[in-house]
Formats: sequence, structure tokens, C-alpha cells
Amino acid sequence: MKILVTVKEVATVEDEFEIEGTEIAEQYLGADLNEWDDYAIEEAVQLQEDGIADEVVTVTIGPEDCEQTVRQALAKGADRAVRVWDDALEDVDLLDVNAKTEILSAVVEAEDPDLVLSGVQAGDDSFGATGVSVAENLGFQWGAVVNHLEHDFEDGLASVRRELEGGVEELTDIELPAVLTIQTGINEPRYASLRGIRQAQQKPLDVQTLADIGVDESDIETELELTDMYEPESESDATFWEGSPDETASELGDLLRDKGVAQ
Amino acid sequence: MEFGLSEEQEQIRDEVRRFAENEIVPNAEKYDTEEKFPHEIVDKAAEMGLVGSSIPIEYGGAGYSTLESAIIAEELFSHDPGIALSIMACSFGTEAIREFGTEDQKERFLEPVATGEKISGAAISEPDTGSDVSSVSTRAEKDGDEWVINGNKMWITNGTVGDFFVVFCKTDPDADGRYDGFSQIIVESDRDGVSSDKITGKLGIRASDTAELIFDNVRVPEENLVGDRDAAFLQQMHFFDATRTGVAAQGLGIAKGALEAALDYAEDREQFGQSISEFQAIQHKLSEMATETEAARNLTYKAAWNVDQGNDITKLASMAKEYASRVAVEVSNEAVQIHGGAGYVNDFPVERFYRDSKITQIYEGTTEIQKNVIARELLDD
Ligand SMILES: Cc1cc2nc3c(=O)[nH]c(=O)nc-3n(C[C@H](O)[C@H](O)[C@H](O)COP(=O)(O)OP(=O)(O)OC[C@H]3O[C@@H](n4cnc5c(N)ncnc54)[C@H](O)[C@@H]3O)c2cc1C
Repeated sequence: MKILVTVKEVATVEDEFEIEGTEIAEQYLGADLNEWDDYAIEEAVQLQEDGIADEVVTVTIGPEDCEQTVRQALAKGADRAVRVWDDALEDVDLLDVNAKTEILSAVVEAEDPDLVLSGVQAGDDSFGATGVSVAENLGFQWGAVVNHLEHDFEDGLASVRRELEGGVEELTDIELPAVLTIQTGINEPRYASLRGIRQAQQKPLDVQTLADIGVDESDIETELELTDMYEPESESDATFWEGSPDETASELGDLLRDKGVAQ
Repeated sequence: MEFGLSEEQEQIRDEVRRFAENEIVPNAEKYDTEEKFPHEIVDKAAEMGLVGSSIPIEYGGAGYSTLESAIIAEELFSHDPGIALSIMACSFGTEAIREFGTEDQKERFLEPVATGEKISGAAISEPDTGSDVSSVSTRAEKDGDEWVINGNKMWITNGTVGDFFVVFCKTDPDADGRYDGFSQIIVESDRDGVSSDKITGKLGIRASDTAELIFDNVRVPEENLVGDRDAAFLQQMHFFDATRTGVAAQGLGIAKGALEAALDYAEDREQFGQSISEFQAIQHKLSEMATETEAARNLTYKAAWNVDQGNDITKLASMAKEYASRVAVEVSNEAVQIHGGAGYVNDFPVERFYRDSKITQIYEGTTEIQKNVIARELLDD
């Protein structure tokens, strides 16, 4: 079985930050592998270790800067990586679900995997739609918010457990080829081993342009516009005490008295 | 001239930081207070390959060089020196086996260390032998095809948790030169006659295990001799540049950790209606701490890079070790000062950094010994 894992380098934000226009100011931003993707990679690598997958390929859309993040997945055990980038993408302010779907679908068609694993969402723009949208576009089956996957794949079926609202879970059998969007907690992602990091430097990382994968520039134009970004006003404050129960209990007592809640 | 790290080196640092933040920091206070060896964390570190990072790939390690090891040490020690040492010292002594050991020794002793199954140690110091290694009195005598070992080793890192030790023994008491007649012999801790006595009450690095080792008529097979008989001094000197650079990296890491903690606290703490980081006195402290840390980093990396080029750098390695360990002590001292009373208790990591920093001026050749070496090299030139 061949598995394709979609991975993304997401922007991370410091606790204190400022917004400039519709963006968080550059100096408060960092970059990291999307948390959900880390779980997707782990699941794929475990499938490989269990002898079910024979190849794990990652695909990302991003500039050269994100290669270090992509190599994290290679260091954890993925066999090779595809990175799609293009001058045309450089100028795009907002890469929407449509554009991502076009690009990722083209890569899926070229790679022809049995299973595509993506994260439920990306930690920065949180569209939460890419995986399912790719499946829909390609006519693949899909399962969203998967928090358990059976590793036997009997009769070409993926048996998954999905997380529903209100603590309810459902079991579903999904026909391959399929896209599963992976929820955090499905496994315990490993640290990349030092040997793995070393070996990852030799693993192939192919860079492809839109033309290489047969996507037209017009396919990635967006109709979405980001109009504002702001921090919601907080209506009340939370007070947080550190210390032993003895100390914090008396501080809580004082506060409640001050607020007139207790006498 | 190239001052940057490679992408691979950045990746190593990032992943080690992730490990340290998740696995080490939340547990640091506990192991320090209890003076307990952090087996659980060491096992996880082994899975990641942190314990045998410099053991060659063919024996299960990552085959990383001195510079990468320095980066790993810097990152680990910047989070908690006691647990960091517990992890990095798991392969103490194996450098001799790596360089001078037989194929059989490499398979038996390097592989299990790389995978975390076994912990090693280096036993040189004795109750009466510290800076002057030539006064080692632990005796190994040949009896048939065995070595019979008698003597006491003092301050041995991993003494009660180690599975084997590379022991520095006197094998020819009649040798002419001061540095002649010593051999390195592997002693497994489960041999009859080996006992250990844990040393508690250490000022710092309290998670790391330290013990006295007692060898009472311990018999080991002759194939446990590492390298050549009577050549231990020459063999051990071979690693001084790398091991001293390693301790420089430890000091650098402690300085870095203390500096970061001090920066955070200075920005958080308010007095006289403003953040204490607004006071010039605090700002100047932070500036000096950062500059000294950066200087220690440059010396350490330069030494590490040179070791990896195969250059002989006796003087530079001693400079890096002496300077970085001094910076560790000074920066952690100022970090406590910036914390005021809060720095005097273990609610914040600086109290630990301050206590932990001192060891870097003592082991692997004291500050005074490093200065002797530097002066000798300067004046001999
Ligand atoms: C926590 C810990 C872990 C250790 N781990 C190990 C280990 O794993 N294996 C191992 O073999 N050893 C280990 N050691 C021992 C360590 O290497 C020695 O403590 C160190 O070499 C100093 O020796 P000493 O304690 O005997 O001090 P001494 O040599 O007695 O020195 C006392 C003082 O005299 C000074 N002095 C000595 N000679 C000179 C000189 N010629 N010129 C100027 N000043 C001088 C020293 O600098 C020092 O200030 C460890 C020690 C500690 C505390």
C-alpha cells in the first residue's frame, strides 16, 4: 500500500503579539510542522512499520524555507517528499481551499496512493476542509476527524473510528482509495531520532511547479478576501493563582469577599 | 569563513529542544530534589538516539561529530543540566572503545549503549587522585588469561547505574615515565568483587548518578583490555580536545538557559510601577550575560569545528572549557540576582542552574588545570 501524507508548515504565534492590518506582525511569528500533520505522519509511519504500507510520501505546498519542516517528516520515517511551489504562488495573499484542492489533487493523481492522510485542520488558517475537498474532487471516499484506524485493511476497507460532537464516536468502514483527516490523539507522535535526521538529508525531496503538475494559474485564483483580523474584546478577566492549595484557597476567599460574592 | 549552522544541525537543535521542553523541564525539579537517576527520561532519550549520538552508524548510533554533540549538549543543558548529564553521560568511556577497541568489543559494548540497553562510565579519579592522573593506584595484574583488579575509584558518574566502566588502571608499576604503565580495562558492574556506593548531597547536577566504585579482586578476561597495554595515557589524551569541548558546551548551555530565564523574568516582574527590565542596572546585566554567552558559544563551536577537522587544539579546547564554564557560573549567578528572592528557591530554574553550573569548572580538568595547559602552550610556543 502506498500512503500520501499532506503536510504543512504553519505559522505559530507568540503569547503576546500585535496585529498589523489583516496580519499578525512578522516579529511575533514562528514556524512549525502543523500539529495534526504530525499525527498523520506518525500513523503512516506506524503502518509502514506494521508492514502494511510500503511507501510513505509527503506532499506540501510551500516555499523553500519550509523544507526544514518537511524534512522533519522524512526524519520520522517518510520515504520521500514532494514540495509544490511556483512564482505564481509567491504573489497569492490567500491560498484558499480551492487552490489547495487543485494542487493536491494533481499530486494525488500523479502519485496514485491507496490512502491519503491529512490533518483535520491547519493550526494557522484553520479552514479544516482541505482533505475532504481533495477526496470529493477526486471521487475518493473520505473519513473526517479520525481518531483510530485499524491496521488490517481487510477487503480493501479502512475501519476507522470518528469523533463526533458531545463525546459520541462512530465506527465506519471506508473503501479505498480514501482520504482520512487525522485528529490529534490518534497516536503518540515520536521525536525524530538523530539517526533519522541524519538519514533524512539523503532522502529525495522533489520540487515541482504548477506547470510540472499540470495546474493552471487560473485554477488557483481565489474569490475569498480576508477583510479584517482582530482580537475579540474580553468581557471578563480570569484570575489565576499559583501556589499550594492552602495559599490559593485563601486568595480565592479574599477575591470572593471583595467582589461581594461571599461575606 | 562560515558561521552558520547547517539545516541538519538546526533540525537536530529543534528536535532536541522539543524533547527537552516536553520530557525534561516538567520533571527537572523532582529528580533534583529526590537525587534520583531519571531512568524513564533516559529511556525516551535513547529511543530518540540521544544517548549514543556520537557512536558510529554501524553500531547503532547516529555517528555525529564533536560539533553536533556540542549543539546537543548546549540544548539539553540549557533546559536542565542534571538530566542532561544523565542522558549524555550514558556513553562515557565509549570513545576509547570506539577509537581503540576490537571489533568484538565494539559490538558488545557500543551497540547496547547506542540503543539504551546499557549505560557506560569512565573511571579515572580516585580518592587520592584527581588532577594528577599519573598518581592512579588502582592496580590490574595479569593472571593467566585474566586481569585481576584492585582499587577504589571516586566520583564516578553512573557509578551505581552503569553496566560497565572503562577503568584506568596501573598495569606496570615499574614503568619509567610518569605517564607510562597505565591501561584501560573494561569492567562489567556485575563481575564478582565490584561494588558501588552512591554519593549524595551534591551541590548540583543531582539527577546525575555519582558513586565510589570499589574493585576487590575483580577478574575480567584479557580481551577486556582496550587498545594497547600500558598505553592508556596516550589513548586518553587523544580525546582531551573533544571531551573538554564537550564540557564547554555544557557550560554554554547552562549560560544560555539561565540567560533566557532571566530575560523572561525581567520582562515579567514589576517594581516601582514598571518592569524591572526598564532599569538600566538590569539591562546592563542582561547585555553582559548575553555577550558572554555568545563569546562562549563562539569559542566552543570553534573548538568543536577544529576537532572535527582533525586539528590538534590543546590550547583552544582548554580555553573554551575554562571560559564557558566560568561564563556558566557568572551568568547563572546574575540570573539568580535578577530574580531576587524568587531566584533563591526552586520555583524557578535559575536556582538549579546556579548550583549546577559549578561542576563545569571542576570535572574534566579543573579551571586551574586548564589555565596551566593554556599557559604551558603559550610559553612553549
Ligand atoms: C559530580 C562529579 C562527577 C565526576 N565524574 C567523574 C567521572 O565520571 N569519572 C572520573 O574519573 N572522575 C569524575 N569526577 C572527578 C573529577 O574529574 C575530579 O573531581 C577533578 O578532576 C578534580 O580532582 P579532585 O577532585 O581530586 O581535586 P584536586 O585535584 O585535589 O584539586 C583540588 C584543588 O587544587 C587545584 N589544583 C590541583 N592541582 C593543581 C595544579 N597543578 N595547579 C594548580 N591548581 C591545582 C585544583 O584546581 C582544585 O582547585 C567527577 C567529579 C564530580 C564532582
